[in-house]
Amino acid sequence: MSYCVNCGVELDPSLTRCPLCNTPVINPNEMEPNLLPPFPYPQKRGQVDAVKRTDLALLISVVLIGTALTCGLLNLFIYRFGHWSFYVIGACAVLWIFCIPMLLYSRLSIYLSILLDALASALYIGIIAYDLPDSTWYIGLFVPVLLLALALLLAFVYTVRKICRSILSTATAFVIVCGLFCVGLELLIRRFFDARLYITWSSIVLSCCTIIAAALITVTVRSRLREAVRRRMHL
Amino acid sequence: MRKPHRRATGGKPRENWYQLDLSGNVYPTLQSKRFSSVFRVGIVLKEAVDPAVLEQAFHMTLPRFPLMTSAIHKGLFWRYLEPNHAPLPPVREDIINPCMPMPFKSNNRYLIRLYYFENSFSLEIFHSLTDGTGALYFLRTLAAVYLRLKGYPIPDGCGVLDIHEPVPREELEDSYMRYARSRFRPKRAQEKAYRLRGTKEPFYTLNIVSGTLPTDRLLEVSGDFGVSVTEYLNSVLLFALMQEQKARRPFRELPLKIAMPVNLRRFFPSRTMRNFITMVYPSIDPRMGDYTFPEIVQQVHHYMRYYLNDKFLGADITTNAATRTNPVIRAVPLFIKDLFVRQFYIRIQDKQSSAGLTNLGTVDVPDEMRPHVDHFEILMGQPFSERTNCAVSTFGNQTVINFASSIVETDVEKFFFRKLVQDHIPVKIKSNRTMEVR
Repeated sequence: MSYCVNCGVELDPSLTRCPLCNTPVINPNEMEPNLLPPFPYPQKRGQVDAVKRTDLALLISVVLIGTALTCGLLNLFIYRFGHWSFYVIGACAVLWIFCIPMLLYSRLSIYLSILLDALASALYIGIIAYDLPDSTWYIGLFVPVLLLALALLLAFVYTVRKICRSILSTATAFVIVCGLFCVGLELLIRRFFDARLYITWSSIVLSCCTIIAAALITVTVRSRLREAVRRRMHL
Repeated sequence: MRKPHRRATGGKPRENWYQLDLSGNVYPTLQSKRFSSVFRVGIVLKEAVDPAVLEQAFHMTLPRFPLMTSAIHKGLFWRYLEPNHAPLPPVREDIINPCMPMPFKSNNRYLIRLYYFENSFSLEIFHSLTDGTGALYFLRTLAAVYLRLKGYPIPDGCGVLDIHEPVPREELEDSYMRYARSRFRPKRAQEKAYRLRGTKEPFYTLNIVSGTLPTDRLLEVSGDFGVSVTEYLNSVLLFALMQEQKARRPFRELPLKIAMPVNLRRFFPSRTMRNFITMVYPSIDPRMGDYTFPEIVQQVHHYMRYYLNDKFLGADITTNAATRTNPVIRAVPLFIKDLFVRQFYIRIQDKQSSAGLTNLGTVDVPDEMRPHVDHFEILMGQPFSERTNCAVSTFGNQTVINFASSIVETDVEKFFFRKLVQDHIPVKIKSNRTMEVR
């Protein structure tokens, strides 16, 4: 039977520290850690039950496939002008891919989900490029921009999930990503138009982002400043 | 499964479905991926629990409580409960992080979970189905059926219901609508209370700090102050919150309020097994000056004596019932109601209290069952915001006070139990925390 020297409460024999004040329990007569009695609570960690949404997934799939098929047939046999049904079929495919993580496979990794969404976007814009007379912009501009956005988005998600612990650090990562994207976008545009590779407007965005990120990092690192900001900015 | 009655007064149970009661309507609105209004009642026996027998007892008891097997569904204007004919839920091994969110469409749509661990079993229920009193009736009946299956002769009565009798229609009624008969609807004070600030725990972590006290000593100390146990414990919690606020040295102090559910069955002759509670807010305002502990006790005592009577409580539930009877509100589609109710709860209701405290009082069981039961445990479940909730239950000479929170800091619990020790009440602490407190 041990008591907390700070709180005066009797502690369960399984406790090595007082759960109220964190004071360690030191009983000179019982220094052998292996003699600790069993933990009075279960050790197993519970998971929230998964929700089955297969019915909704089936319904949405039927509606999307039906729409795509009907439009394809109408385009093929009745309204034969242009390839208008490609837009509808592409939109249906994009919507279906966007719905996968929500409906069919909710435990899909977020990175894989973003990758699939990027592929769906590439597919849809590809359909538009195919239908337009000049499609050089697709390979020359759109695909590099999409790859840049994808890389930055994946990096941002990884940072937020693994490193960022607060709203401030998440905001810092977001601002940095925005700045880098603008620089990359301008360079890719210039490359597409065979212009000299240097930055103009994006340098202003990058400067602003750098200043904001520096301010946010300072606030994040200085705990007193962080607390002051939290007090003044709380909603 | 037994069908609900065709006609009943008050809550209008219809054939095969039930309207949600007044409180029950709010909890699904707050439902999210990260939050469910789930609470837990548990019983600790004096022998190890046999899960196979427990499951048998569980499935035998459930039909006596038709609301417990209901599933929640969305209508155009309101949600409602419908009997669920899916296979009955299994008994599960207990977990370290109780009161996890309960998605409506998971678990075969059942809104109830039963866990076992060594000598104990615990029931987790979504709050729209019933309140603590209803859950305790279910738990005691389940425990009695379990013990009977183990060969002990346990009679009905003292909270144990006869599982073979037909369900009385009074048990299914919405008593709020029956007793919301006040001719006056008082406006409620909507003043912001002090709110705890703490470091959020990782997702699905519920920290429990459980204190066990001798009931006779608690009664003695409360008696010395001339107040009831509930009033005394409320005062101790307010005292702890006052110390916590002072320790933070705030720029501007705020009133300290406790949200305390009151069992309305004590004031109105209702036998309902559905929700029948209302909230009262014992409070102190440190802006008026520093309170001594005896002053807090007097403040809480007089507040309780002034407000806890059928007139005030009846007027309170009439104010609440107005939202249910107003024809304009009734005609608003559910998703718009959800939007407004959720925002109202986040911006106003949740900010009105600093902590929650519920006291389910002394749990009564038949004398033949008493030797098999060690104690009962109640958990208020995951708090909606960063704060701590306190639930009290008494069985024999053991009063168990369970604090549940999703924050790392334990300052309120520390000040609370230290105050009890200062008042010469011995406290034994256990906790499910596996990480160090700050």
